[in-house]
Parts: sequence; structure tokens; C-alpha cells
Amino acid sequence: MASAGTSPNSYDTPRAVANKSDKRTLARAIRMALGIESVAVRRNTQNFNRNRYLVAAEVDDYNALKDEARAIKERSISDLPYLVRTLEGAVRARGGQFYLAATAADACRYILGVCQAHNAKLVVKGKSITSEEIRLNHTLEGAGIEVAESDLAEFILQVADEQPSHGVAPALHYTTERIAALFKRKFSTDAKLETGEELTKFARERLREKFLHADVGITGANIIAAETGTIMLVESEGNIRMTCLLPPVHVAIAGVEKVIPSRQEIGPFIELLALSATGQRLSSYTSIISPPLDDPPFALSGRPQKRREFHLVLIDNGRMKMRQDPVLQETLYCIRCSACMNSCANFQTVGGHAFGGETYSGGIGGAWEAGTGQLENARFSDLCTGCSRCVPNCPVRIDIPWLNEVLRDRLNRASAGSPLASLLGLASMVRGDDRRASAQKIFFANYHWYAGWGARAAGFSNRMARSPLVRRAMQALVGVDSRRALPPFPARTLVRAAREAGAHARAASSPGRAAKAVLFADVYTNYGPAERGLATLKVLRALGADLVVSDAVPEGRAALSQGMIATARKHARRAASLLSPYIEEGRDVIVVEPSALAMFHRDNDHVLVGTERFELLRTHTFEPVEYAVRLIAKSGRTARDVFDVERSPVGRRLFYHSHCQQKTLGCAAPTEALLREIGFDVATSSVECCGMAGSFGYKKEYYDLSMAVAADLFAQVQATEEPAAGGPRALLASGTSCTEQLQAGLGRPVLHPIELLAAILKV
Amino acid sequence: MAAPAPSSLIDLFVTRATDAAARVERIPRSPADVRAAIARATEGARTLVIASGEFVPADVFVAARSLPGVIARPSDDQLATADAGVTEAFAGVARTGSICIAMGPPLRAAASLLMPLHVALLPAERIVFRPRELFELQGIGEEAVRRNLVFVTGPSATADMGPLVRGVHGPHRLHILVLE
Repeated sequence: MASAGTSPNSYDTPRAVANKSDKRTLARAIRMALGIESVAVRRNTQNFNRNRYLVAAEVDDYNALKDEARAIKERSISDLPYLVRTLEGAVRARGGQFYLAATAADACRYILGVCQAHNAKLVVKGKSITSEEIRLNHTLEGAGIEVAESDLAEFILQVADEQPSHGVAPALHYTTERIAALFKRKFSTDAKLETGEELTKFARERLREKFLHADVGITGANIIAAETGTIMLVESEGNIRMTCLLPPVHVAIAGVEKVIPSRQEIGPFIELLALSATGQRLSSYTSIISPPLDDPPFALSGRPQKRREFHLVLIDNGRMKMRQDPVLQETLYCIRCSACMNSCANFQTVGGHAFGGETYSGGIGGAWEAGTGQLENARFSDLCTGCSRCVPNCPVRIDIPWLNEVLRDRLNRASAGSPLASLLGLASMVRGDDRRASAQKIFFANYHWYAGWGARAAGFSNRMARSPLVRRAMQALVGVDSRRALPPFPARTLVRAAREAGAHARAASSPGRAAKAVLFADVYTNYGPAERGLATLKVLRALGADLVVSDAVPEGRAALSQGMIATARKHARRAASLLSPYIEEGRDVIVVEPSALAMFHRDNDHVLVGTERFELLRTHTFEPVEYAVRLIAKSGRTARDVFDVERSPVGRRLFYHSHCQQKTLGCAAPTEALLREIGFDVATSSVECCGMAGSFGYKKEYYDLSMAVAADLFAQVQATEEPAAGGPRALLASGTSCTEQLQAGLGRPVLHPIELLAAILKV
Repeated sequence: MAAPAPSSLIDLFVTRATDAAARVERIPRSPADVRAAIARATEGARTLVIASGEFVPADVFVAARSLPGVIARPSDDQLATADAGVTEAFAGVARTGSICIAMGPPLRAAASLLMPLHVALLPAERIVFRPRELFELQGIGEEAVRRNLVFVTGPSATADMGPLVRGVHGPHRLHILVLE
């Protein structure tokens, strides 16, 4: 395998870093992608992402469509063996052939057999990522058959000998300039090859000949209806229609999970797939056909007129086993739209050659690679930070971060562990099997434990955290990048500060208050920017709340993000035990750190299965500003009755970056609306995530990627501060790690919105 | 957005199909008007293939077949090199600006795919609101449920070479004549 040279200009080829079963290859892949592919990947994925939001907003029943699609997929996967038998009967009844391939090799052997039976010299192919999974081209070309990839993206990949970097647009890592250079290198041609038009014309002319002369056409299938043997094929170029129509033999290959019961149930998927995939209302062509077609195949003069033949090849290759796996089963609902990739900040920055394996990419890619190959092939899914931005964008509502957390858990358990990891695990009381995780993961999963010790002597710890020697040791032992400033421990933790003001707290606790609540001392706020918690106390009490402060315990989000699920469950149970009595006495729970709030709202759904405590916590936990807005509304006052913009210590112009999980939970909008109502001029970020994502940006392997992700956020801040746009703005962020990221990149203080609100209270 | 009334359904269709880079004209459905519109739409095309019709009155097609350049019974070699194809669409979809072509009858698949220009005749009353309506067992959907069909939304296109390029393997231009 080629290795990266020492020159900054020498990078691995995508193929050399396709299999990331070992961690070093992942690092090389990230380096290659940041160096070569990032510009095109960013432009193209962000374009898809923007368009998807625009078109989804037009579809008034978007959520109902997703529910309907999800329900159809759940039913289909549950009935799959029956549906496959039904489909076989339907295809045969129409005169087609049906083959269920147990393995990739079986599928390749069957398709090669079809080609050889027709003495095929030339096969034309439409885009099929499943054919990449089974390495079909390798088999056919090995037998001396020419394979012409007719989708222009696949054509580029075939010329370049690269694996797909994206599910829908597999060559989106290429700029026009790089394609031009590639074609000039690989084809001897006098054609002018510079613009998109010229490159398209060049490829079209070569491929038109292939369509007219191909012996066999091979396509994938987006959806298959069992009752009628109907397949749906989505495309924009027209190559798939030609592949189905022109050659006498049509082979369609698809994973067995593509089967749904009936043709009528294709309906919801048509719009949903197009908008989720490319952000189009529909792609140029959506074919819904029950092959073999009635039209006679194409026969140019001199070629024999043949009868039409159709083969449907369904591929198991691990899928029926995934169906039995309580977690990976969800993967089979995937309709391969790639919305999870387009809405992922890490993916937008490196694409599928880093955030992807030999075939499958992005958030859902790890589960596909693990299910159709080896668990170790899913190691790249470490790039899923659990930011959850893909979750509301998945058309079949797969909780993709959860799949990746489970894969990480399994990878942790399959690894050998290390003496240091065992020691750290023992010290921080990590659950047994979780001690096999890396020392780095154990450190970040138990941040509360180290922070608890650190905060006891905050002054000393903060000096240590700035010592280069300590930082070098931390980088070597637990992988904390020494370029990162560590968030300082507060002189007084939130809990201690609140206790010291205890009398005050009690005084506020009188009957007849507007609301009763407890401020959950999440470990990030408690051992970090504790002033955010104190500001929350001040604002909510001023709004009439009877508010007390809980103890500081981990809620499990940190352990979950490292794939240490048993430890996360232990933490989640502890937080639930702590908070349940408060809720039972009629208190709501206020959570400052959005990722801790996400644990209560989303992740506990998986971690605390089957307990009532989850529902209780979910329905009683609130973001502080969201809660303030409720209290103001309840009191019949307006925001301007309570807050005075003139008192703002940072002026009227703000730039607000909401936290990724906060956006997913739908509690970013209240902050934006309140600030505007008070009279602030608020610019907001449109990035999916700041790139820090909790522990991610602190890890030495991912520091460069994290900063590259953040470049978009920094650029957005700067754009809104142009002199023409009115000049500087004060920075606000709701997440602890977003704050660190903004401070690192822009070198300026960042406030939590609740701190600003505390400063402008009228009373 | 709720399903609009039939007249605004046509308006929405025209807007959305135009957004998708189709050229759309609303014309009266008399054979003479359709023939003239096809002649205008295919101006510059030397050879022209017209697929058979089912949902558009037969006399409309009869009139169009006498246009200059029409190849009555094209060979596959002629199909591969013709300049324009004319087909009917059995349905339109307002929300997405798509037309639906039912395959099967001779030449319809080829005439909507192989030539650089595709001209489609769409009876205005066959426009539905959403794609899903073509999977319901009543109305226009009844037809769709039985057929091999393709939703066509604008000309063929790609962004694989960098910028959006219209005109790849399929038609480079789509011209829809909405028959009122």
C-alpha cells in the first residue's frame, strides 16, 4: 500500500486509503481529502443541502411523507422473506428471470453467466453503488468484457480508478479543472476540454456509441414492488433509460432491502427521494417500469434483431443478517438518498474518501460497510460526531448517530485494550467491557471525573493546563491535541457558587411563584463556564421562577459519544435518579448545555429503553432561553417589558451560533426570536455544526479537520462584520464546545445568550 | 400548500416546468393549432419522429404527421440520428412541473429519449397536483398503475462535470405544449 510521503504535495490515492480498518489509514485519508478534494466536496454537498431545505419547505406534508415512507419500509423489512418470494413469482410471470444472490461472488458469477450466454463483448451500465459493493466491473473485465459506465460520475471514477465519494453523486470530489486534467491525461484527444459543457459533450459522444452497440445493459433499482415486479429508477442524465431500452438484455441489480410490497406504495418515495437526494422537486427522469419492456430492443443495421430478456438480481451479501440485528436492521430502511452526508459538517469538508469506506460513505456508510463486510471497515464512522443534523433530514427517520455509537461500542469491545486504558477505566469507574476502549475515549467519556478533580484546585489545574509539558503528556497519553486551549476550570463551580448563595436561593422559593424548576448542573457548565448557570438563575428567578440547583452528575452524553454505551447507561440512570424526585415535586428541569439536553430528549430513547423515566425527563427538560420565553408569555408581558436593549454591554449587533443538537431539538429558534424582539440586530450562522462537536475537535487525529469545518463558520461571522454590512458584532453561542471553537478561531469572547439576557434585565 | 383549483393547477404546472428548464406553451387543442405549434417548436430540425397517441385526439396526430421532415416509419438507424421526437404525455404533475410518458405504444420511449429535442403534448385536464396521485387507483392514476411510465422533469442534465449542464444522454431541450 502506498504511504504518504514527507513532501506536503504527496498524497495517497483514494484507492490506497479506501479500507480504513486501521486508524492510521483514516488519518492519511483525512489528510488527502483536506489537501485535494475538500473544495469540490464542500461546494457540491452544501449546494445539495441548501436546495434540500428549500424544496422540503415547499412540501407541506413533508413530515407525513417521511412517516409514510418509514412505515412502508418497516413493514417491508419485517415481511422481507415473503416479499422476495412474491417478487420472484411476479418477475417470472412477466417472462423475466430472478436470482437471489447470497454473496457478492454469487451475484458476480450469475451476471457474468448472463453476459457469456449472450456472448457479450460490451456491457453498458447505469449508476449502481451496489455493483461497486460486489465489485462487478472487476469480474466482468476480468473475463474480457468491456464495461462502459454511462453515468458521467461513474465514467469519471472508471477513468480515474477511484471508489465513490458520495452515494448520489459519486464523483462530487472532482472540480471541473481536475476532470479536464484527468481526461487530457487518459484520452489522446484534440477536443477542447475545459468547460463543463465541453467535458459533458466529450463523454456523451463516446457513450452514445456504447449505448447503440451494447449487448447487455446493467442498472440498479431504487425501489422494487414485489406484487408486480416493478422497479423505480431515478436519474438526471437519461443514461439509465437508454440502458433499459436499447440493449436486448437488461440486468437490474439491487440489495434485497429495496423490495416493498406494491406499486401503489412507490408513491411517497418519488418526491421524497428526489428532494432528499439532490434537493430537486424531481430529478429529470423517474422511470417506473415492470420489465421486460414491450418495445423491441434497438438494432442498428447489420445487427441481429433479438428478443428482450430481463434478469433481476437481488443481493443479500449480509443484509438478511443485518435484518436480525436489532440495531443494524434500521440500516435496511435506508433509501440511499445521501441527505445524511449532505447535512453533515464533517462530510461537507472531506467527503466520502475520508468519511467513507470501500463502497459506502457518510453517516449511514459505516453501518452499510459493517453489514455487508467487516465491522472493522466501519472505523471511519468515528467521523460521525453525533451532532444529529442528519436526523431530521433522513427521509425514513433513521437515527444515524445511534447506529454509529453502537458501531463504535462494538469496535471498542473488539479491540485489545491497553494497560493505560484499563487503569483510566478503573479509576473513573467505567463499566467492564467499556475498558477495552482507547485511553482517549475513556478520558473523554469520563470528562466529569477528571474535571471534578481538576476543579478542586482550579488555579493549579489551570496553570498545569497551560504548561507545554503537561500538554505534551496529555497529547501522548490521551490524545488531547496540544494546539487546543483547554476550557479553564472556574474558581467556583456552579454548584458551589449556588450553595454559597444558598440563602438567596431559598428566599426565592416561596409559594405562588410562576414556575418551579431545577437547574441541572451539567458537568460542562459546572466545571467550565459556570457563569452561564448563574446567569440562568438570575434571569429565570427575575421572571418569577422558584429555581434550585441540582448536584453535578454526568448525564451520559460524553460516554455515549465515545461508544461506551454501558457506561453511558450508568450515567443516564444516575442523572434520571437525581432528577426524577425534582420532577415528581412539580419542578421542570433546565439544562444549559444543549448536548446534555439532547441526551434527555433523544439519546435516552435508546439508552434507557423501556423505562418510564425517559418520557418523564423528555417532557420536563428545557433549554434556558426557551424556558424564559415561556415564562414571559405566561406572565402576559412582552420581552421589552423585561429586557432593555439599551443596557447591553456588547451593543445591539449580534452574531448568534446555535448548537447543532439544539437545532435538531427545535430550541434554537426561540433564542433568535427573543433577541430580535428585544431589539437586537441578530445575524445567525447557517452551518450545520461548528466542527468542535464536544470532544471531537480536541482529539489530535481530528484537530485539522475540526478547524477546516469551522472555516465556514468563521467566514460567515466575518461576512456579517464587513464594513458594508455594518461592522463588528458581539458573538453569542449556546454550546460549550461551540464557544471554545469560536474563541479559538476568532480570538474574541463569546457569550451565552442567557448571559446577555442577565445583563439587560430591567429589574 | 393544499391542492389548488384546476385553473391554478395549470398555472402551477407551467411555473414549475419552466423552473425545471422546460419550455411551456399553452395552446388551443385544434389539429391546426397543434400542428402549427409543433412546426414552430421543431423549427430547424431536419428530421422528426412522431410517436402514436392515445390520450390526445387522433386527428391532432394525423394533422401533425404531414409536417415536413417527419419520418413515417423510422428505422433504428434513423431514430438514432433524428433531430426531434414528438410524443403525448398522459399526465402532468403541477407541484414538480413533470410530465408523464406511458411507454409501450410504438416509438414513444425512443421519441422521448433519443433525440436532442423532445416535444410533448399534454392535455390540460390531465394535470394532477402531486406525483403520488398517479398511484391512486382512480382517475388518471388508473392508467398509471398498469403502465410502464417515466416522469420527465425538464431536459436531461448533469452536475457531474462541475457546473449544471443541460443536455446529456437524453434530450437537451424539452418543449411542452399544454392543450387547453
